[in-house]
Amino acid sequence: MRKRCRPHRRDGQAEPPMEREHRGGARRPGRLGWRGRAGALGARRRRQLFVWNPGRVAGGDLPGHSSLLRRSRGGKVRGLCKETMTTDEAAKGEGEVQAVALAERGEDITPARDRGVLKIIKRPGSEDESPMIGDKVYVHYKGKLANGKKFDSSRDRNEPFVFSLGKGQVIKAWDIGVATMKKGEICYLLCKPEYAYGSAGSAPKIPSNATLFFEVELLDFKGEDLFEDGGIIRRIKRKGEGYSNPNEGATVEIHLEGFCGGTRFDCKDVKFVVGEGEDHDIPIGIDKALEKMQRGEHCVLYLGPRYGFGETGKAKYGIQANAELVYEVTLKSFEKAKESWEMDTKEKLEQAAIVKQKGTMYFKEGKYLQAVIQYGKIVSWLEMEYGLSEKESKASDSFLLAAFLNLAMCYLKLREYAKAVECCDKALGLDQDNEKGLYRRGEARLLMNEFELAKCDFQRVLEVNPQNKAAKSQISVCQKKTKEHNERDRRIYANMFAKFAERDAKEAASKTRVKTAAEKPACEKGPETPGAKDEEAEGHV
Amino acid sequence: MPEEQSQTIMAVDELQAIVQRCQILEEADFKGEDFNLFQVAGQKCLEDGYAAQLLEVIQNEKNKVIIKNMGWNLISPLVRCIFMYKQEDDKREHCLKILDQLAELCNPKELFLSLLEQIEQTSGEQVCQTVMLLLQPLQTVLLKLQNKKAYSVGLSLAMIMNQLTPLPVPYTKQQIEEDKLGLCQCCNAVVDFAKPFVNELVKNMEKSSEYNDVELKEELLKFCMKSLKYPLLTAQLEQLEGIEEHPFRHFATEIVDILWDIKELIPLVFLRHRDRSPHWENQEFAEMEQKNSADSLACLSYLIFVQHLGIACFPVVFSPSYLLQCNMTHIEVLLKRTEESMLSKGLDLFESCLLRMEDDSLLHQYLEFRTFINVPQDLVKVMTLCPIEHLRKKSLNILQLFIDKFDAEGKYTLFRCLLKTSNHAGVEGYIIKNIKDQIHSSLTKACDNVWFTGHHLISLLDLVLMLPEGAETDLLQHSDRIMASLNLLRYLVIKDCESDNQTGVWTTLAKIERNFLKPLHVGLNMSKAHYEAEIKNKKENRKEAHSSNTVCSVTVGGEKMPAMTTEMQLQVLHSALFTFDLIESVLARVEELIEVKIKAVMDEHS
Repeated sequence: MRKRCRPHRRDGQAEPPMEREHRGGARRPGRLGWRGRAGALGARRRRQLFVWNPGRVAGGDLPGHSSLLRRSRGGKVRGLCKETMTTDEAAKGEGEVQAVALAERGEDITPARDRGVLKIIKRPGSEDESPMIGDKVYVHYKGKLANGKKFDSSRDRNEPFVFSLGKGQVIKAWDIGVATMKKGEICYLLCKPEYAYGSAGSAPKIPSNATLFFEVELLDFKGEDLFEDGGIIRRIKRKGEGYSNPNEGATVEIHLEGFCGGTRFDCKDVKFVVGEGEDHDIPIGIDKALEKMQRGEHCVLYLGPRYGFGETGKAKYGIQANAELVYEVTLKSFEKAKESWEMDTKEKLEQAAIVKQKGTMYFKEGKYLQAVIQYGKIVSWLEMEYGLSEKESKASDSFLLAAFLNLAMCYLKLREYAKAVECCDKALGLDQDNEKGLYRRGEARLLMNEFELAKCDFQRVLEVNPQNKAAKSQISVCQKKTKEHNERDRRIYANMFAKFAERDAKEAASKTRVKTAAEKPACEKGPETPGAKDEEAEGHV
Repeated sequence: MPEEQSQTIMAVDELQAIVQRCQILEEADFKGEDFNLFQVAGQKCLEDGYAAQLLEVIQNEKNKVIIKNMGWNLISPLVRCIFMYKQEDDKREHCLKILDQLAELCNPKELFLSLLEQIEQTSGEQVCQTVMLLLQPLQTVLLKLQNKKAYSVGLSLAMIMNQLTPLPVPYTKQQIEEDKLGLCQCCNAVVDFAKPFVNELVKNMEKSSEYNDVELKEELLKFCMKSLKYPLLTAQLEQLEGIEEHPFRHFATEIVDILWDIKELIPLVFLRHRDRSPHWENQEFAEMEQKNSADSLACLSYLIFVQHLGIACFPVVFSPSYLLQCNMTHIEVLLKRTEESMLSKGLDLFESCLLRMEDDSLLHQYLEFRTFINVPQDLVKVMTLCPIEHLRKKSLNILQLFIDKFDAEGKYTLFRCLLKTSNHAGVEGYIIKNIKDQIHSSLTKACDNVWFTGHHLISLLDLVLMLPEGAETDLLQHSDRIMASLNLLRYLVIKDCESDNQTGVWTTLAKIERNFLKPLHVGLNMSKAHYEAEIKNKKENRKEAHSSNTVCSVTVGGEKMPAMTTEMQLQVLHSALFTFDLIESVLARVEELIEVKIKAVMDEHS
C-alpha cells in the first residue's frame, strides 16, 4: 500500500543530502512536470553547483556550523555525502545547525520586525526579479520541525509546489518569505508559530505552537492568467482590500494608463459601467479584469489581441490590428450592480429596455463582445423570473426573444456557432416558428458542417415565409455541400465495405446475442449513409 | 426416468460429436451452426451435471482452437450453474475450473464481452456474488487485450459500479459485519481488480512524462470519482471498535492511494476551481459532470481532512483559512443533504477545518465569499429542522466554533446575518446571548473593540431590542428571543454606567423604550388577558369539551399525536401564562434598574 513512496523515500526518514536530490533533479530535468525555462536552467545550475562548488555541498558553509561537518569538508564530495548525511543523526544535526544559524544570523523579514520569520539565503538568485502579489509561484521546499523531523517535502512528491503569492493561501511566513526571494534563490526560513500554524497546530503533522524550519527554492513565477487562456495576464503591484469584486454592470472609478509597444497611448481617470468600457475607448479585457480586482488594487494587465482592440485595432490611438496591449490600472472605488435577485420584476423590465438599446448600439458598431454582455443581462434577469402578471410575462417574453435572437447573431459574428445554436434553440422555445431564429440556426449549423440539419432549418423558414429568397439559396448550398461530403465519405468508406460485409455475415450467423455497447461503435460504421449517421449524432445534442 | 437419462447422455455425446467434427476444421471454417450446436450441447452438459466431462473436453489440447473460438458461449450457462450448486459441491469446483480455463483459452475480445454481459444482466442480491465471481477472469482477459484496453477497463469498472450503485450501503457496525449482500467484500475486490491497471499506468508515467496514458488515467479517475460518491459518501467511515479492518475505510484508503498514484489527488483537492473538463461542449453535460463531481470531491476532502487518509504526502504549508475556504464548497454540498451519513460528514469536515484555526483569526473579508454566508444558514437549518438529535447538537457547537474564529467585525456581520435569516426564536436567542458575551469581553478586556461598543453596537441593538411585529408579536413563540434580549438589556444597564456610556445604550434608551419595552408591556397585557380568558372558557366548557371535535391534528416524526384532552390543553395554557409572568418579572427588573440609574444621575446633577 505504501509502495508509492518508495521511489522518493529511498532515504526514508533520514534527511537526504541536498546534493543527492539535486543530482536527481539534474539527471532528469524533464521530470519536474511543469514547463518553463527556469526549470531547465535551475537544473543545469544545480549540476554546476555539485561539480564546481564542493564547499557548499553539504549546505554547510553557514557560520556556526558544527565542527564535525567542518572537519570532513576537505574530503571528496561523494564521500562527504555518505559519511555525514545518510543517518538520522546527521540529518537532525544539520537541521539544528541551520536552525541555530538562522536564529543567530537570520534576517528578520517581517513587516512588524518581531523576528517571527528569519531568513538566510543559501544560494542567491540568478535574476534580480522577485515575484509580485497574485503571481503563480513554483517552489521546491522541505519543512522540518524543531526536533529535526521532516514533516513535508515537495521533492518527495517529485513535483514542484505551486501557489498564488500573497493571497493567504499559505502560512503567513511563506507569503512574506517567498515574496523576498529572487528567481533561482534557495533560502532557509525559520518561522515562529504565529506565522505558521499557531496554537491550533495542523493535525496530524504539526503540533501546537511549533516553530517551523523550511528550505525553499524559488524555481519560477509568472503573472496570474485570469481566464486560463493566456489572454489576460495580471501582475499586482498593490493589493486591494477584501475579497469582493465589481460585477458586470457595476460602476467603477479607475485610473488607467495604456501602453502599446512601449509607448503610452492613453492615460486617464475615468468612471464607467463594467461591460461598457468601450464607450470610453477601453478594451473589453479591462472590463473582464475589473471583475477580478478588489477595491484599491493597482495592477499591470497584459492583454492579448482578443481582449484588446482585436482585428480592427484602434485608429484613434494609432493601434494596429491584433496588437498586444499593456495597461496599468488602479481600481479606486466601485459600486456593485444589483444582483438579479435584488431586483423586482418592474425594475428588471425597465432595465431590459435600456440594455437592449445599448446592446443594439454596440452591435451596430461591430462590438459584438460588448453587445453579448448587454443582451446577456436580459437573459440573466428574465429567464428564470416567475410569477409574472400576464402583461409582464408578455413583455418579458418579447425581451427574451429579442435577446436570444440578437445573441445568436453576435455569436455567429464571433464564430461561436455552438453558442449561436443554443441561443436559437432558446428563441425557438419561446416562438417555434420564428423566422430569424430558424434562419440563424440554419446558418450556424451550416457553418458547423451539419448540412442536413441546416437544410431542415431553412426549409422551415420557407414554410413560415415562402418569400424568403435567402433561405432558398441556402438550401441549395446545403445540398451542394451534402453531396460533396458524401462523395468524400464514400471514398473513405469504400475500402471498409468489403471487410464489414464479410464480418457481418459471419457474425449474423454465429451470434444471436445482443451486441453490447463495446461493440457498437465498430458496427455502426457500416454502409449506412453518412447523412443518416450525422442526424443521429445530432439527435441528443 | 430412463428417457431423460438417455437424453443427458446424449448431451455429452452430442458435445463429443460436434467437437470431433470441428477438430479437423480450420479456424476460419467454423460455421454458425457449429457455434449453436456447441453452445446447446455445452449448456446441456452443465445443466445435467456433467461439468467434469465438459472440463475434460475443454482441457483437451486437441480442442484448443475450438474453445478459443466458441468457449465464450458457455459463460452464461456456466454462471447460472455455479450459483445453483452449494459451496462444497464438487460440481461447483469443476465449474469454477471451467471458468478459469475459459479465461485462459478463449479469444479475449469475445470473452470480455460475454463476461460484461453477465455482469450487466445480474441484479438484486446476486450482483455482488456475480461480480466477485467474474472479476478474476475479467482481469485475466483485460490484461490479454491488445486494443482498446483503456476503454475496456473503463467500461468494466463503470459497468460494475453501476450495478453496485442501487445496493444499500451497510451503515451500522452490525450491518457492516454481517455484509448481507457482500457489498463490503465486493468493493475491495473491485479495487484489487483495478490495481494491475493502476500499476501499469504508474509504470508508464514513470517511464517518461511525455508518454502519458491519458485514456487509462481518465478511466481510473472516473472510477475513483464514482467510488467516492458511491459507496463512500453514504458509508460510515469512522473507526469501529472491534472491527480490525473496516472494509470501507480500507476501500477508501485504496481509492485515495490510486488518486495519489495517478497524480490526481492534489489537483482534485485544490485546482478544481478550474474547468476540469473543457472538452464538454454541451453545457448540460458539463453541469451534470460538475454536480456529480461535487459530491465526490466533498467525500474526498472528508477522507483527507477528517480521516487523514493520504495526508502523509499532503503539502503542509497551506494556511488554515485557505483550507477552510477550499472546503466551504464541500461543506455546503454536504449540509444541504438530509441523510445522516452525509450531514455528519459535512459537520465533521467543518469542525476539523475550524479546529485548525486560532480564535478570532478569520478575517471578516471571508464573509464576502458567498459560501461563508450560506453555510452558517445551512447549519441553522440542520440545528432547527434535522430529526437526528446528535447532529442538531453538534451543529450548534460548530456554529459557536465558527463564530469564535472570526475577528470582531466578522462576528458582528455574522450576527446581523443570522438574526435576519434564521427565523427561529431559539437561534435568535442564542445569537443574542453571543452578542452579550462579545460586549462583555469588549468591556472587560483592555483592548478597544469598536464593533461591540458605540454606534456599531447601537445599530446591532436595533435588530435585537425590538419586537418583530410590535405589540402583536406572538410572545410565546418568540419567548426565547425576548428573554435573551431582556437579559442583554439588563446586562447593559448594570454593567455600563450612564456616565461612561461605553456601549451607547443610554443614548438610545428612548428608542429601546419605544420599540421594545412599551410594545412588550402592551403585548404581555394582551396575551395574558387572552390566555386567561381562554382558560376560563376551557374550564367552563369542560363537560362539552369531551365531545368537541379537534380542529387540527399534530404529527411528530410522521406519527399522529393523540388529540389533546382538555386537561392537557389547560396545562399548556398555564405554562404559557407562566412564561408571560417570567418575561414580565425580568422586564420589571430591567425597568427598575433603568429608573434607579437615571435617578442616581439626576441626583448627582442636582
